[in-house]
Amino acid sequence: MTPPLRVESSPRSAGPRREEVALLRILVVAGEGTRAAGLLQNLRQWADDGRLELDSAPDLPRAVRQLAGARWDLVVAVLGEHPDDDLAWWVDTLRGVPGSPRLLAAAPTPSMGLVLRAEKAGVLDVLSLPLRRDDLMAALERIRSAAAETALPLPPVEAQAVGPYALVGQSPAMLDVYKLLARVAGSAATVLVQGESGTGKEVVARALHVNGPKATGAFVAVNCAAIPENLLESELFGHEKGAFTGAVTRKIGRFEQAAGGTLFLDEIADMSLALQAKILRAVQEREIERVGGAEAIPVDVRMIAATNRDLKEAIQQGRFREDLYYRLAVVTIRLPRLGERGDDLVLLTAYFVRQFAERYGKQIHAISDRALDLLRGHAWVGNVRELRNVIERAVIVGGEDVLRAEHLPEELRGEAVTLADRPQGGLLTLAEIEARHIARVLAHTNGQIGAAAEILGIHRNTLTRKMKEYGL
Amino acid sequence: MTGLPPVRVEKALGLMPELEALDPLRALVVSLSRPDERALWSSSGPYLTLGKRGVHPDEVRRRMQQAFHRIVGHLQALYREYVDALEAQQRGDAAGVVSALLRAGRLEEGVGRFTQAQAWYDVALQVGQALQDRRPEVECLRALGHASLALGKNADGARHFQRALALAEAEFDQAGATAACEGLGDAALAQGQWAGAQAWYSRGLRLAEAAGDGSRAGRLERQLGVLARKQGDLAAAGDFLRRARERFESAGSADETARVLNEQGQLDAQLGRHGPAAAAYREALAWSQRATRDPGLELSVRLNLAQLDLEAGRLLEAEAELRRAEQVAIADNAMRRLVQVYTLMGRLRGVQADETGFVFFEQAIELAKALDRSLATEAQVYLAYGLFRSRLGQQDEARAYLERAREIFDSLGEAVGRERVEAELRALSA
Repeated sequence: MTPPLRVESSPRSAGPRREEVALLRILVVAGEGTRAAGLLQNLRQWADDGRLELDSAPDLPRAVRQLAGARWDLVVAVLGEHPDDDLAWWVDTLRGVPGSPRLLAAAPTPSMGLVLRAEKAGVLDVLSLPLRRDDLMAALERIRSAAAETALPLPPVEAQAVGPYALVGQSPAMLDVYKLLARVAGSAATVLVQGESGTGKEVVARALHVNGPKATGAFVAVNCAAIPENLLESELFGHEKGAFTGAVTRKIGRFEQAAGGTLFLDEIADMSLALQAKILRAVQEREIERVGGAEAIPVDVRMIAATNRDLKEAIQQGRFREDLYYRLAVVTIRLPRLGERGDDLVLLTAYFVRQFAERYGKQIHAISDRALDLLRGHAWVGNVRELRNVIERAVIVGGEDVLRAEHLPEELRGEAVTLADRPQGGLLTLAEIEARHIARVLAHTNGQIGAAAEILGIHRNTLTRKMKEYGL
Repeated sequence: MTGLPPVRVEKALGLMPELEALDPLRALVVSLSRPDERALWSSSGPYLTLGKRGVHPDEVRRRMQQAFHRIVGHLQALYREYVDALEAQQRGDAAGVVSALLRAGRLEEGVGRFTQAQAWYDVALQVGQALQDRRPEVECLRALGHASLALGKNADGARHFQRALALAEAEFDQAGATAACEGLGDAALAQGQWAGAQAWYSRGLRLAEAAGDGSRAGRLERQLGVLARKQGDLAAAGDFLRRARERFESAGSADETARVLNEQGQLDAQLGRHGPAAAAYREALAWSQRATRDPGLELSVRLNLAQLDLEAGRLLEAEAELRRAEQVAIADNAMRRLVQVYTLMGRLRGVQADETGFVFFEQAIELAKALDRSLATEAQVYLAYGLFRSRLGQQDEARAYLERAREIFDSLGEAVGRERVEAELRALSA
């Protein structure tokens, strides 16, 4: 893949030499008519000063054709009568376009809501029409400054392989986890693993299994929240043929599949009270009954349960059985959030980059300082799972030896390169500042209202009301 | 908001009896559902389906008024058409009666109520048959033909179009004859009768070109392209699609251009040209954005794009595209497409050897069962479910699901589907 910005070097006297300023390839999609012609004429006048190489397309469909045929740094799109819809289409269209060109939207009178939605989607800027030279040049400057990145070699990582996963990290918080894990793995005790989504509960459960007395048996994982409630019982305990409509064959349940090994019940809090009673019986009596069967089947399994919920709160609300809680939480391992793990983020990043580079046949040995800054600055509400996703996508998109900021999702890039303040050149009202800040926090939390409300220090209902008020 | 957690859609719909009068309420509950934000990054996040989304009763209560407004608007429009028919009857204008009744039927089709549309067209046909001028009758028969095809009653559709063609030719109604040929081609295509479809489309194309009807000629060329692709004549398919695209693009017809590009993408995919196929789909999406909003078209393109990614092993992209399609399908209450979304999602999990992927097939079957005229859709889900089980080495379950698919295809007389299932069952036994 060629770098997005070409730097041509030749001598010049004062200030940054003109030839040292990166040339930007811009596709202008302005529609037809006099306004479009005027815009194009202006851009052409500024092209030489701004080191711009321009081309144009009359509309979105033709632009798609041109985007597929060449590499672009920026798309300047004039939004039509339905600017919100147009913006959403543009964002969708540019997703996956080679070279990840940035989007600069232009509209006659962009609304606050449009600007904030654009910011959330990682749009470079939303400018008013008629376009002002200074606004455009300021936006282009942001692209150019973002392009100046330094490659940092990926640090070596010592990973403890656990089946298809690995335990990675040296932070004090993780060292505590490792110590507890080492103490309990050797016993057959039931373990409850608690932690936010994406902190690695299944990896820890697998580590307990492979280092435990039943390591030669199977490790069977069941995600209790993923399976429809009416099917979960037969999934866990199995069923006899004809036990219910759809029971087309006899089915061996997960308890039986895990015999002699470990049964990992993930997201246990999502189970109905009726099913909790059956699990309790299985844990207490070490036997189960298939749905539609009359025979009690002994099961010898080590149980590990996990949840991202506060089970004690669920007990108080009457949504989780207290007796089952005490049966499961013989030992409790609490996993830290990624944000609490300091430089583990860098190690995990390096680990995932290498893992996915190998999987996708890429040669990536370094990460840029800016990309790393963006990763460090993100909220990671999805913790390690979210980081893994981001890195996998970045490795797929990237093709060179360095993972750069441009390979990261627009949402992450948008967090650093924020839109210019509105209204242009004027001062913002208190409401505009509040709306802007809420939008930034929401972008930071990937749109998760609960997490955003926590950061903002307000109740989620208040945040929902404000979001509605500001059209977010 | 009350601060209480939302009610899961699987629970919410479980509280609603299967009554036609509640269809708009069911659609409202579905379209208002949101994924539980706590689940987005959880380990169950990748398995989120409609049933696991949440809905707030407060929000349903607030938005009920809008739903009532739409229902009342639809009923008012229907009643107005009826009164128009009544006035035409009063002044002895039978052709006017037919027109009004056909308009009412089209209103029903517009909201996906094809059985109800058919009822209006039946009444219109009774009136039209008494007229000396046969053109209104031709129009009624064509409307009935289209409604029958939409309901999956392909033989009935063919019968209506056949009658329409005979009458149109007797009346020298070239436009009516061309349209009937197109309908007959569609009916034959739906029944897997390639030679018949080709003959009807070709005849329709000759008539359309002779009449200078560029729009219909373009549609027929597109359909001939589809047919040629299905028959494996990829060069001819490319030629037809190129001509159709030139026609529509020069006429500025955004929706038809999008449809042709959607077909072009499938042709390129069949040729193993994944890059051009993806480009064609992306351009199709861009054209669909310019056209009058048609979620069905957008969903069709997105599903094809996801399938392309899936076949190319770009699983992340396939999943992202399917999630976008899911969002559109839920927002627009396009349940048939949602069944396809979940079936593809299940296939994707099968490729990843992820057993929990069965939840998508279960959700697809549940949705298909709740749909009107959904048996063929349900059979397709069972077929894919059987292949999923087979891929995971669960041969007994695979066989049971494939046999269920065969049973349904048999009951529908669907030869193409049945043959496919038979082949899979043979492969399973081998």
